Amino acid sequence: MENLIVSLLNGVIYGLLLFMVSAGLTLIFGMMGVLNFAHASFYMLGAYFAYALQGSLGFWGALLASPILVGLVGVVVEKYFLRRVHHHGHAHELLLTFGLSFIIAELIKLFFGNFPVDYRIPASMDFALFRLGDANYPAYRILMGSVAVVMFILVYLLLTRTRVGIVVRSAIYKPRMAEALGHNVPLVFMGVFGVGAALAGLAGAVAGAFYTTNPNMALELGVMVFVVVVVGGLGSMGGAMLASLLIGVITSLSVGVDYSLADILAWFGARAWAEQVGGLLTLKLSSISATIPFALMLLILMVRPSGLMGEKS
Amino acid sequence: MQPILALSGVRKSFGDAEIIRGVELELRAGERHAVIGPNGAGKSTVFHLISGHYAPTGGRIHFDGHDIQGASPQHINRLGLARSFQITNLFPKLSVYENLRIAVMRRHGVQHTLWRFIGGYAKVREETEQLMELVRLAGRRDASAGELSYSEQRSMEIGMALASDPKVILLDEPMAGMSHEETDYAVELIKTVTRGRSLLIVEHDMDVVFSLCDRISVLVYGQVIATGTPEEIRNNQKVKEAYLGEEAAA
Amino acid sequence: MQSKLWIPLAVGVALLVALPALLSQSLVNAAIQMLIAALFACAFNLVCGQAGMLSFGHAAYFGVGTFATVHAMNAFNGAGLLPTPLMPLAGAVVGLLTGIAAGWFATQRTGTYFAMITLALAELMHALAPHLKGVFGGEAGISAMRMPAWGLGFGSSTEVYYLVLAWVLLSLALLYLFTLTPVGRLTLGLRENSQRLRFLGYDVHRLNVTVFAISAMFAGIAGGLQALNTESANYVLLESHVSAAVVLNSYIGGVTVFLGPALGAALMTFFGYAVSDLTRSWLLYQGVLFVLVMMFMPTGLAGFIRWVGTARRAHGTVALLPMLCAGLLAGLLLTAGTVFTVELLQRFFSQDYRAMAALNAGAGWAPIALFGRDWLPTAVATWAVPLGLWAVGAALVRATARLWHALQERAEPAETPTAQQGSAL
Repeated sequence: MENLIVSLLNGVIYGLLLFMVSAGLTLIFGMMGVLNFAHASFYMLGAYFAYALQGSLGFWGALLASPILVGLVGVVVEKYFLRRVHHHGHAHELLLTFGLSFIIAELIKLFFGNFPVDYRIPASMDFALFRLGDANYPAYRILMGSVAVVMFILVYLLLTRTRVGIVVRSAIYKPRMAEALGHNVPLVFMGVFGVGAALAGLAGAVAGAFYTTNPNMALELGVMVFVVVVVGGLGSMGGAMLASLLIGVITSLSVGVDYSLADILAWFGARAWAEQVGGLLTLKLSSISATIPFALMLLILMVRPSGLMGEKS
Repeated sequence: MQPILALSGVRKSFGDAEIIRGVELELRAGERHAVIGPNGAGKSTVFHLISGHYAPTGGRIHFDGHDIQGASPQHINRLGLARSFQITNLFPKLSVYENLRIAVMRRHGVQHTLWRFIGGYAKVREETEQLMELVRLAGRRDASAGELSYSEQRSMEIGMALASDPKVILLDEPMAGMSHEETDYAVELIKTVTRGRSLLIVEHDMDVVFSLCDRISVLVYGQVIATGTPEEIRNNQKVKEAYLGEEAAA
Repeated sequence: MQSKLWIPLAVGVALLVALPALLSQSLVNAAIQMLIAALFACAFNLVCGQAGMLSFGHAAYFGVGTFATVHAMNAFNGAGLLPTPLMPLAGAVVGLLTGIAAGWFATQRTGTYFAMITLALAELMHALAPHLKGVFGGEAGISAMRMPAWGLGFGSSTEVYYLVLAWVLLSLALLYLFTLTPVGRLTLGLRENSQRLRFLGYDVHRLNVTVFAISAMFAGIAGGLQALNTESANYVLLESHVSAAVVLNSYIGGVTVFLGPALGAALMTFFGYAVSDLTRSWLLYQGVLFVLVMMFMPTGLAGFIRWVGTARRAHGTVALLPMLCAGLLAGLLLTAGTVFTVELLQRFFSQDYRAMAALNAGAGWAPIALFGRDWLPTAVATWAVPLGLWAVGAALVRATARLWHALQERAEPAETPTAQQGSAL
């Protein structure tokens, strides 16, 4: 039972992490209509900046400084790259961000090497917060989840309760009207892009210490984030949250499931045959837990193509 | 006689806003029927509902013995209903010839053909050439559709709608941006090609409407407030109020 | 096809046929890689440049083609139903079937969604592969051997080259002929306005799947040729960088011209082969080139060549020459400055250098050997080189722009590459 709760908790926290990154992506897509392929690269940059800075600023200082740096990178990307190709259309912007994500990954390999770096959680945080049965639950995981929740609340309040938030939402919904009313819409775009990037960077700085920090992490997470937005419905924050949690929980729970299709077929007396056939039938769910989100995505595409909470196009 | 196209109680909401609020419209076979009304009345939306671009949130649309509300655009087109668009909706980087040929091709059933060259289909070529002549774009044969002038593009729109040899044609402001001469030609063209077909046309130019159409429906705020011959509509009190305001009509 | 293209095309094919007699063995091997990459890129372009669907996971169809062919090679041993020269058919069939299945899902959505789905499908396959050892062979992959057939041994590179060349030429010809069929013309319609196609009565989803499947089939043939060439298949072929490479290659070459992607793929493969010993940062250069192309020359190399042709007709070769020379020189200088910086940084941040610096902690930064000279990382002179190259390069860029404006003012305005309309093929 405790194992189940631990798995559930792990899944929720991983889901919250996914949401931290996909929220920024959803916001940027809703605003500019372009999918920022480099968004997961901002996540990776957050981890690497934090790693590079922790020597001089300490773990917590680096944790604060890194998202700000990533935000600046985001602003530069929007102002000097995306804006230039805006008139060519969305596909063009997507390709450009694709190229930028490629360059960022190669630059990281250039400066930090093509292998994982030793970015670890500090000794001060390396303890168990509580016990669940015979399992110690690491405090750092709770920290990750808390950061995600706090961030979500802050962003929600910012968007719905402050003047800045109202301007941003109007610029997202009707940019020309907002501009006609005197708001500096290009500045808003730049700001939202930067904040979205900073959020992804924060997620990276926090998570990179717990999971590995390597040049491949952008791709690994990036694909998951894309699955989240397809499942949840691009442009829907609620959908992103729902899909993130769903994927996080399912992935986490399936890691503990050592059953395969052969076990199910055993109920029908076909175990021997299944084991002889091998291949997909004897594959344990726990081995392929990472591929379940893809299966979920394909299912959604068959049953509800616009996503769980997306609008029908 | 059963109308070839009939809308009964058709409604369409976008979120909380109900744009089409119960439309009753009948198109008789062989007739030319105009839909007029003030801006924002929902005329293009009605076309979108008929042609399958939107599914109505209520009511029925009956076409030639089939219920087509909520059907897909390709299904409706194959049943024999074609439309033009108010906002030009062509294949911009393809030539005039290519644009029309794509429209013509489907009726010849070659859309799945991989083993013959398109150039080998003489019938397709002839029909495309004829269509180009008809809409007077033969001289612009190789120009990209995106480079055409606005009125040339409107002619293309008419051509694309005609290409599938439909039973019912929907034309959405086909003559916007045309000069007098071009408009006159287009009116004659429409008269010629709609012989034996039924036409539903959205137009603002009243001269065109009165010279071209057998009957008119007036759409105001998502409802048809009057249907009748041009004379009847001209004298209809409700129509006058809608266009001119209550005091002026009185 | 325009008649004036027949001659350069015939010359090109003749050169390709004569290649093994003109070049060394290792260059012939490189040429084989270039041909395979070129076919893969043209297959990709069917979906991307012609149908307007951005596929970020095309490696999947290349990879399944490779695996299918390797399995076929092992099963048939070069004789019987499928002699060695016909092996790529296995790749074609499996590529086609995979393309139908994947395409059916992916084309349920359009645009950005479609791109994401194709990426995820490829990643799914890549994640499953290590677990399906029977099919994908695990870490070591699966190997096979080219068996003799039709009186040829297929042991030498030259024979493999001609086999690959024959398949690539045949496939490119078929791909081109496809553009002349009704489905091929409709493919362009998909790109230009798939919504209008619906209103014209076409089943757009079915069309999308058809085009996707045909593209996957030819990608599978390319994969099959890869299997024949390397006599092996490994699931690293399903990795994202293979999908990324074909996207980069195609756009660098130019997606609006039929042979553009082939050109881009051939060039990039060649450069990758030529410089892979000299630098570890080749992928970075490729990415930078791609971003530069997307920002300043969206029609790619082939589009640029076409633009030069148009400009030549408008202004005359003599008038154009100074501008082109200035532009070329500017490009070379900027490239040199960038390469210098990147190579310097790469060595500075490399593990070896850091280890050495840690050992000689007190001695300061050691000089870095580059291009036959030693450069001190802390010396101003070291950084003056790239800065100088960039400065002169930037000045030349401005001079080129001014020359171009002057030309335009003197004559009728010709189209610029960014404004030029794409090919209707």
